[in-house]
Amino acid sequence: MGSSLPPKEANLFKVIVKSYETKQYKKGLKAADAILKKFPEHGETLSMKGLTLNCMDRKSEAYELVRRGLKNDLKSHVCWHVYGLLYRSDREYREAIKCYRNALKIDPDNIEILRDLSLLQAQMRDLTGFVETRQQLLALKPNHRTNWIGFAVSHHLNSNCLKAIDILDAYEGTLEDDYPPDNERCEHGEMLLYKVSLLEECGLLDRALEEMYKKEARIVDKLAFKEQLVSIVVKLGRLEEGEKLYRSLLLMNPDNYSYFVGLQKCLGLYSENGQYTSGEVDQLDVLYKSLEEQYSLSYAAKRIPLDFLEGEKFRNAADNYVRPLLTKGVPSLFSDLSPLYDHHGKADILEQLVVELENSVRSSGCFPRRGEKEPPSTLLWTLFLLAQHYERRGQYDVALEKIDEAIKHTPTVIDIYSIKGRILKNAGDLVSAAALADEARSMDLADRYLNSECVLRMLEADQVGLADKTAVLFTKDGDQHNNLHDMQCMWYELASGESYFRQGDLGRALKKFLAVEKHYADMTEDQFDFHSYCLRKMTLRAYVSMLKFQDQLHSHIYFHKAAVGAIRSYMRLYDSPLKPTGEEDGDMSGLLPAQKRKLKQKQKKAEARAKKEAEEKNEEANSSNLSKAGKRQHTKPVDLDPHGEKLLQVEDPLAEATKYLKLLQNNSSQSLETHILSFEINMRKHKILLAFQAVKRLIKLDENSPDSHRCLIKFFHKISSSSSPVTDAEKLIWSVLETERINLSQLHGKSLVEVNRSFLEKNKDSLMHRVAAAEMLYALELDKKHEAIQLILDSKNNAAPLNGALGPVKEWKLEDCISVHKLLEAIFHNPEAAHSWKNRCMEYFPYSNYFGGLKSSIVAGMVCQNESSLPENGDLSHQVVGGSSQNGNLNTFKDLTI
Amino acid sequence: MVCIRQATMDDLLAMQACNLMCLPENYQMKYYFYHILSWPQLLFVAEDYGGKIVGYVLAKMEEESSEPCHGHITSLAVLRTHRKLGLATKLMNAAQNAMEGVFGAEYVSLHVRRSNRAAFNLYASTLGYKIHDLEAKYYADGEDAYDMRKHLKGRQHLQPITRGHHHHHHHHGGGCCSGEAKTVADNAGVAVSSLEVKGSSLENKSA
Repeated sequence: MGSSLPPKEANLFKVIVKSYETKQYKKGLKAADAILKKFPEHGETLSMKGLTLNCMDRKSEAYELVRRGLKNDLKSHVCWHVYGLLYRSDREYREAIKCYRNALKIDPDNIEILRDLSLLQAQMRDLTGFVETRQQLLALKPNHRTNWIGFAVSHHLNSNCLKAIDILDAYEGTLEDDYPPDNERCEHGEMLLYKVSLLEECGLLDRALEEMYKKEARIVDKLAFKEQLVSIVVKLGRLEEGEKLYRSLLLMNPDNYSYFVGLQKCLGLYSENGQYTSGEVDQLDVLYKSLEEQYSLSYAAKRIPLDFLEGEKFRNAADNYVRPLLTKGVPSLFSDLSPLYDHHGKADILEQLVVELENSVRSSGCFPRRGEKEPPSTLLWTLFLLAQHYERRGQYDVALEKIDEAIKHTPTVIDIYSIKGRILKNAGDLVSAAALADEARSMDLADRYLNSECVLRMLEADQVGLADKTAVLFTKDGDQHNNLHDMQCMWYELASGESYFRQGDLGRALKKFLAVEKHYADMTEDQFDFHSYCLRKMTLRAYVSMLKFQDQLHSHIYFHKAAVGAIRSYMRLYDSPLKPTGEEDGDMSGLLPAQKRKLKQKQKKAEARAKKEAEEKNEEANSSNLSKAGKRQHTKPVDLDPHGEKLLQVEDPLAEATKYLKLLQNNSSQSLETHILSFEINMRKHKILLAFQAVKRLIKLDENSPDSHRCLIKFFHKISSSSSPVTDAEKLIWSVLETERINLSQLHGKSLVEVNRSFLEKNKDSLMHRVAAAEMLYALELDKKHEAIQLILDSKNNAAPLNGALGPVKEWKLEDCISVHKLLEAIFHNPEAAHSWKNRCMEYFPYSNYFGGLKSSIVAGMVCQNESSLPENGDLSHQVVGGSSQNGNLNTFKDLTI
Repeated sequence: MVCIRQATMDDLLAMQACNLMCLPENYQMKYYFYHILSWPQLLFVAEDYGGKIVGYVLAKMEEESSEPCHGHITSLAVLRTHRKLGLATKLMNAAQNAMEGVFGAEYVSLHVRRSNRAAFNLYASTLGYKIHDLEAKYYADGEDAYDMRKHLKGRQHLQPITRGHHHHHHHHGGGCCSGEAKTVADNAGVAVSSLEVKGSSLENKSA
């Protein structure tokens, strides 16, 4: 490095490199300028100066200098390396890899460059390249532990487990007998566990077991040792040993469900679907009675039997389980029991049981057949449980009656208000739900959980302004601007984006959805530093699982929701594009053209001024950060587009949507929604074959879903009603579709009208299927509009079956009925039908804000009349609205302690 | 009821969500990655019957050689809806056991807001932590923190995560710490938090 320079300058060059490494950029810059004064075109110096400037946030100069340096000295590996580092700092990993490769052509054994290259290859999952580079590194420096480990890991990632094991064996061969020294015992133990996991992974179970016994003393992590051992032992069919191990694991932690499952498997008493013969149930019953005795404080041992017991035995076990938890007042009891509602008959038994407890406690103050008096709170928690039970069953009236009684019983227990809020939300009264959550929040202002729940309810009720003001109470930490976005608070961004979307504010909606998408991009980026870190730390099992996690990061539910939201926003933008003059047009309608021009100029100027101010603020922020001991601190730059207006100005919304669609297709291919969106986008883009592919996927996933049916009919209807093919390409597409159509069993030899009719016939008792059929009837035959509407209006809301018997609740779901109402308005354009639908639903959903049910807060006049004024003018000072008035004045019991 | 187990990679996003729901001190995902990739043994979660993460403990080892080997609780949270089950105690015991068993920690430290009585009580009475120091203006909003510590003795005798009435005889020996002997109901196991001033940046360690 620094070759071709005289000694004095060569020394200065070393100073630049050293200063870069120690982050003393100013010093480095000075040295670089000193050299350049004498040799203004010296390539490596120019490059290093550029790299230094890059660290001082002077990007464009940096690129210019680095490129000029490279041009002046194409044969220098330093210049190529620096160019690679520059790209790497901007996350342009593919470009960086190219640069490193060029550098290595000149200096093939440069360890630093090889190491940097290997990190990029791991990041980009260039696994064959990664193996090669790690091999070179090991060949060059075989005395470094990390080079052995890195080589082994590279083979493992590249699906060559056996090779990885060989390498680790060879590495162990290089170690002294007394290895490891005390301070490396943990690392060495981790390496051994990694090796055993590799042996297990490629099925060498006997060898894995042998290895474990041989190295037991050197594996420090005893919990991991046992878990690994039991996994291998069970795979080898040595179930008695497995049983012993699981029992000893339970002794360490009797709250880990997987140990119970493991124990059951070893005893031959486990079934995936939870179905057991009565003989097995008896055996399980005996097993768990003994476990319960042994681990008296384990809730798991008591709870698990409720899953397999039936009938009378279930009732007795549930009774024993529930009583002490009611006495203790455990708020999560219902959520703990709720999976049992999916088991046939158990919900009924639970209802009878808890009602019996309620009656007994109410009348005698004791549980049935028990002399001891219960504390007064037992009735409260029994009501609390019952309210949630009736909510789950859709009996909102009873649920509210129970929860109101609980509030009256003890008005100071905050959790009751939260539950009441949730019941109201599910019953459709979003406004009161938000008010209740706010009331709960005000009862303990220091509890962030109550704040978060309140914010969520407000967003669900589309009170975004109020929600933001409430959320901020916990995000203003002194002068540290710790906001929700920086901390990747995705539930908030999603709920907020969805609310904006409902309100038609596509800019702000997109802003939030894309923010979530950005978090996932950042997480992908996060792994970079760990490629080298984990090799040194030896946390290899965790490292490999992190890489696997990263490979499917975008299948996570938050990302899925954000991508769906973004795609829908872009599609809506495409369907109703902004007027070229912008939103202000409406306000200007009364003006003369000359006045309009003037006004627009004024607006433009104001915008430019605002932008400039924001930029200046950014620069100020940056420079003030730099001055602090030369250290760069991360401050958030001022947002130039806080309302997402720029996001709305995309050239091609469908192209943007397609970006996110691809991520969904790659990561959420099992979701109907993915393919519905694909259908919608590709129909708009006239990508016939891609749209057809989406239809096929939908049919494969769920051929009877109303959405699959819609897409199928819409697709072939569109095809048959478009003009016959002209170009060769079109003809080819048509012929493909002809053959495919024959293969679709749904369409076999039938006209679309017939297909639609038989779909209706097959599903005539289901509201959403009927509606889909009606919508398609109208699409296929425009003159059948009234018949189609009648089809919808004639739907019957039957009593929903409750474990065979008919319960007091009807079948239809609120959200479905809302979507039907919207359909009658937007697709059928029939206000009378919509109105009559609304009147009908008002009865079914008396709490619904949407339908204006008689019991909903809006109609009952409990909330300020002008609901729409809440989002913008809502003020925390008059926050307690709705429910609070029924529940008396908060201040009266502020001083009471719970 | 609720399962207590070691956290896996797939739990991290849910842990972050749980933290953001409950506590004012929050961290970016990278900090969670940093913990699990440094001390995978020290992260535990509480998972309810439906598979939802309702609590977690995020802990680390302090690796400055100037001090004796010790662990530190970075963050502990249990959803308000899942109080009164003793989850915080179980999570803490699990992390402490691992610090002692795997890394040979002599003691474990944590920070708690001076105003957070519920958390303070959990640490002081149930778990046996003692105030070591008061750190003025430790939190970003200017509040003071107690620096609390608990000594971990008897390295080979680990606590069962759930304290049983039925102590296995060999647990009696050295392992019992002051808080363990009492059977105090843990009704404070919520929103107990502590934090690092700043995610001790990975860059410093891996550069």
